[in-house]
Amino acid sequence: MHPMIERPVRLVAYLGVAAMFGVLLALLVQAIAPGSLRGALALCLPLALVYGFQCLSVWYPVRQLPSSRAGAPQLVLLLTLASFASAAIWTAAGHLWAAALAASAGFTDLPARFAIALPLFFVVGVFLFVLATLVHFLFVVVERSRDAERRGLEREVHAREAELKSLKAQLDPHFLFNSLNSVSALIGSDPPAARRMCYLMAGFFRKSLGLGQKEQIALSEEIYLAETYLAIEEVRFGARLQARFHVAEATLTFAVPPLVLQPLIENAVHHGIAHLVEGGEVTIAAARVGEHLELVIENPCDPDRPASRGAGVGLANVRARIEALFGHRARIDVEALPESYRVRLLLPALPAA
Amino acid sequence: MKPMRVLIVDDEDLARAVLRELLAAHPEVEIVGEAANGFAAVKLAEELAPDLLFLDIQMPKLSGFEVMELLGEKVAVIFVTAYDEFALKAFDVHAVDYLLKPVEPARLGEAIERAAARLAQDQARPSGVAIRPSAVAVAAAAQPPGRPIERVLIREEGRVHVLPLGKIDFIEAKDDYLSFAVAGKRLLKQQTMGELEAQLDGSRFVRVHRSYLLNIERLARLELYAKDSWIAILADGTRIPVSRTGHARLKELLG
Repeated sequence: MHPMIERPVRLVAYLGVAAMFGVLLALLVQAIAPGSLRGALALCLPLALVYGFQCLSVWYPVRQLPSSRAGAPQLVLLLTLASFASAAIWTAAGHLWAAALAASAGFTDLPARFAIALPLFFVVGVFLFVLATLVHFLFVVVERSRDAERRGLEREVHAREAELKSLKAQLDPHFLFNSLNSVSALIGSDPPAARRMCYLMAGFFRKSLGLGQKEQIALSEEIYLAETYLAIEEVRFGARLQARFHVAEATLTFAVPPLVLQPLIENAVHHGIAHLVEGGEVTIAAARVGEHLELVIENPCDPDRPASRGAGVGLANVRARIEALFGHRARIDVEALPESYRVRLLLPALPAA
Repeated sequence: MKPMRVLIVDDEDLARAVLRELLAAHPEVEIVGEAANGFAAVKLAEELAPDLLFLDIQMPKLSGFEVMELLGEKVAVIFVTAYDEFALKAFDVHAVDYLLKPVEPARLGEAIERAAARLAQDQARPSGVAIRPSAVAVAAAAQPPGRPIERVLIREEGRVHVLPLGKIDFIEAKDDYLSFAVAGKRLLKQQTMGELEAQLDGSRFVRVHRSYLLNIERLARLELYAKDSWIAILADGTRIPVSRTGHARLKELLG
């Protein structure tokens, strides 16, 4: 919807300004080609109002303009041509209107007066068209900046929501119950191992609960969390689960969103290793690739595994979070083969605060 | 009284260990075996014929519900899992009980009492009249709700075949059995055509004849054989009879 027509107050004000220009124009005509003032007004007022409407149409092309400065010379040329065309159409309309007024309202000298003032009409037409374009351009700029602001706010809200969800996902109750079952088993057969398991669980929950509130953490903290989590799951799965870390020393101080790896590692265990009778190895790699921090989680999987419930929630969550936080500066690629599954995260390589 | 013979099925060593330890306090129970996955569970259950299964649900290859489907009416089941969301399904398939991990000794005791009562009840009944669920109920419980099945489980000569639907060419009814045609071979399963048809995705498998369900992807062409009777010719050249209703169903599906 056109911003002028959207609100009646604006339209009335706009037409008021147009009428004012009409009066001015009539006075100019009176100065160049003297005659009756009523005749000049009868000629100029309606023409100014009509031109006001004509100039409103420039909104639609202006709105389509790209926001960058690229192609500015072409735009100026285009604007000039458009203003000439617009002024020519208007002048032609003025010619017809003057003839009509002469025939019906008795202003018989109007066609002659109009012929004298014709260059004036053309120049004013060009000037008003350019003015209208600038005003509309201003409108578009304001609207775009408001839009950008709103989108920024929306993105922030999404990021917060995703963070909340990730916090919930990370407190997977089944992980807790299964771990407690392992502790219960170890208390009978291997008390020192049971005690070690308690330390690991305390470490994992203390860390993950604390990290949820932060905006970013060092990769080293995320890796510590992954190691602890996998150590707990190794107790549960026994020889079926092995974990291997290839973390480049230099990447440990890079910033990552908290718990960005955790859902992916849970997936690797639950949808990968847990479906394999013989188990397998989860590998976690971190490296610097150009301007990016590359994180790769890979696991083997069973080609005949049933379509798993709940798969993809963790992945979708991570995707939403990094998109909200980094936009196009981050990427997530998934390579799902029959017998292996690989997730690759590319984040901007930034030092942790 | 003879002790109850039980089989423990769980993919985690520690989960089996804790059950073993807790069951040691129950002289009325004798552990006859342990299995770490669904295939092993089915095999052992056939060999050992236990009275009762302690069955985990989330396991590699076959889920606990799928194990139950394969074993049919032979054995009473107590599910043991960290997930509480399968409890309703477990009731649907008449599981004796549903224990949550970590298992509490007192709760385990109750479950064993229930199992003993159920077994006594079964023995008092004339043989052949079981209160066990039908294969359909168990197969349905093994699937996510509202979704057609994605694979068919067949037990034959001690082996378990997991057939993804895409590998099945067609299914033929033979007396009480269904014969699954898979790459030129046949596998038999005791089930009725109606039961299976209800479980399958109707846009992939079409009942082309009273005795035939056809994987629509295998159909190469149709030939008119006689009035109101056609022959479906499959990609590998196999010929299958198509009835008038079957033909109508095919036409509706293929347009």
